[in-house]
Amino acid sequence: MIFYTKTLTAMLMLGVSAAAAQAEDLVIFQNWSSPAEVAALNVLKTAAAEKGINWIDITIPHDTGSSVSLMNLVVGEQPPHIFVENNTGVYRDLSGMNLGRDLTEAFTQSGAIDHFSAAVKKAITIDGEIRKIPLGVHIDGMLYYNMEVAAKAGVDPTTWTSLDAMFADFDKIRAAGFQPLAVGAQQWQIGYLFHAMMATLAGPEIYNQLYGETPDAAAIDTPEVRSVFTWLRKFQQQADEGSVNRDWNMTTNDVIAGKALMQIHGDWMKGEWRVAGKEAGKDFGCIPVPGYKAVPVTVDGWGALGGQPPEKDAAEMLFAQIVVDAKVNADFASVKGATPVRDDVDPATLDVCAQRVVELLKDEARQVNNPSVTVDADWSNAIWEVAFNFWSDPTMTEDAAIAALHGQFDTILN
Amino acid sequence: MTVDAPPVMFPRKPKRITGKSIAVLTLLTMSALFFCIPLYVLVVTSFKDMDQIRDGAMFAMPTTWSLEAWRFAWFEACSGLSCDGLQAGFWNSVVILAPSLVASITLSMITGYALALWEVRWSGPFLFLLFLCAFVPFQIIMYPLIRLTVQMGIYGSITAIAFVHTVLAMPVLTLIFRNYYKDIPPELIKAAIMDSGSFWRIFVEIILPMSGNILIVVLIMQITSIWNDYLIGVTFGGLGTSPMTVHLANMVTVSTGTVSYNVNMAAALLTAIPPLVIYFVLGKFFVQGIAAGAIKG
Repeated sequence: MIFYTKTLTAMLMLGVSAAAAQAEDLVIFQNWSSPAEVAALNVLKTAAAEKGINWIDITIPHDTGSSVSLMNLVVGEQPPHIFVENNTGVYRDLSGMNLGRDLTEAFTQSGAIDHFSAAVKKAITIDGEIRKIPLGVHIDGMLYYNMEVAAKAGVDPTTWTSLDAMFADFDKIRAAGFQPLAVGAQQWQIGYLFHAMMATLAGPEIYNQLYGETPDAAAIDTPEVRSVFTWLRKFQQQADEGSVNRDWNMTTNDVIAGKALMQIHGDWMKGEWRVAGKEAGKDFGCIPVPGYKAVPVTVDGWGALGGQPPEKDAAEMLFAQIVVDAKVNADFASVKGATPVRDDVDPATLDVCAQRVVELLKDEARQVNNPSVTVDADWSNAIWEVAFNFWSDPTMTEDAAIAALHGQFDTILN
Repeated sequence: MTVDAPPVMFPRKPKRITGKSIAVLTLLTMSALFFCIPLYVLVVTSFKDMDQIRDGAMFAMPTTWSLEAWRFAWFEACSGLSCDGLQAGFWNSVVILAPSLVASITLSMITGYALALWEVRWSGPFLFLLFLCAFVPFQIIMYPLIRLTVQMGIYGSITAIAFVHTVLAMPVLTLIFRNYYKDIPPELIKAAIMDSGSFWRIFVEIILPMSGNILIVVLIMQITSIWNDYLIGVTFGGLGTSPMTVHLANMVTVSTGTVSYNVNMAAALLTAIPPLVIYFVLGKFFVQGIAAGAIKG
């Protein structure tokens, strides 16, 4: 009798734990709601459900940077298990509260880490530990052009080997009746253009001096920074009247509609092209900015919560592996319009633009990270402000812009 | 109210166009345009399709009027992974509104009544404190309030949202009620005290029937502020209780995706409709109520 009871209890317990393993709830805090983003999330949700993870969604919109809502949930003792967060400080705070989770071991054991590019590794690492699950990669400054317009204007962007070569064709493009370069002149867009040009013209060393964890004022005085301002001015002089305060996607639509030849912006532009029913390599082409010394990389990454009971922790680690699984990640990236975080995905599953990005990311020496990964938010905002003031005021000289950068540097970082 | 002498009539001056009236009219027209032009863009954009929106020409009328954006915003737009449109948020907002409204108005009404008509010890300093509290921005006490609701065991629920709305509305509403009841003639209350003496009976049988106008005013104020609230809902709601404003914000905040302006405009209008309806239905009473509060009877 006792034996039977014990067996029964054991069986019951087994049954209970098996049931628990079958559906472990993970609360996932994120900020995506647009159609492509939701479709991409559903790729992850389905893959997670197959492995017995029940995705409980909290969506609260916020811009990149630190999320007040996330901290509210932590203070309210209901922190989500997986969360979108860019700010390094938040990860350090979580560690201080024993809620940090180091993912280094998980990704090392599964071997995923060997397939992450340098920029991905840097973006997900905080204080020597991997703290984020990388989801997808975007290049902050790619050149997307309308192939039909290029043919009509008689130019071939793929032959441009430098910005000068590109600029030399501007008159020809204008003569054919097209706006050469479409720009959306909003502060953040000019800020992005600025750091994209910094990567293009100055290369990793100076870029990392300016946007590193401890920025170096000496970088501001380099001729490369000056040349970035010079090129900003050239682009500004070439901008069309409608550029003022135009959203990036409306700008993209000018290129799609054939009013302008090209746009230099983050490669999330691809989403607009796709929604308009255009195909990469057939209707539009994508190249890195001509003469690039480095490409600026944005990595979408989500953190995991530490200090959890073993079942939750196991589910979190399982989720992390699912996200970076070569097949799942490729599906996710293709739906979102991003590029997979791994270098070993089947190229056949990628469009030509994503293939190009995977190729670019194989060159470890020519990639830099989006400033938000390393840099103090005040400093990054200050650079945006100077760049945008410079753009908006045609009388402002390079000297004045450089002096303004120094002024901000002294105020914020000294 | 006291019995007044026959009202004194002030004959209106015949209308003439003067420099002053031109200035007033110009100013009024300008302020009307200030609100109406964006509203016009909002409305016409919500009826356009995306192809026309991509062409620019913000002020143009829709080439074909379509309700598709409205339907999509209500039934299908995504807020995160749930793609049930704004309707999900709408019902959450209703569920948040009802208890918040009842709790905040009842509590401050009774407090105002007690402070105005009963001898309450420390009522002076208490009123002064309430007055001070009315000027404390919510953001400053947000973290303490989160901790408080966690301690109370209600954080992350509708109860927490209703609680916070009640607490935050207390100072201003209590002052409004107190000032309104202060004008009730003391003779009336004294007589009532002699007749029954019960705090609650006087409140229910005498004060409540006299509170129609001010209730309408407070109702409109509270419905508007609770319905339009974003921060309290998003901070204290937790899972699955996001109000309509959070759904709206999710729909319109797009980082690197495509922006559906027509759906966004339709969603914004849908979210704004309930308070607008309240204004139109109760607007007449609102003006009466404000006037009743302003003119001493």
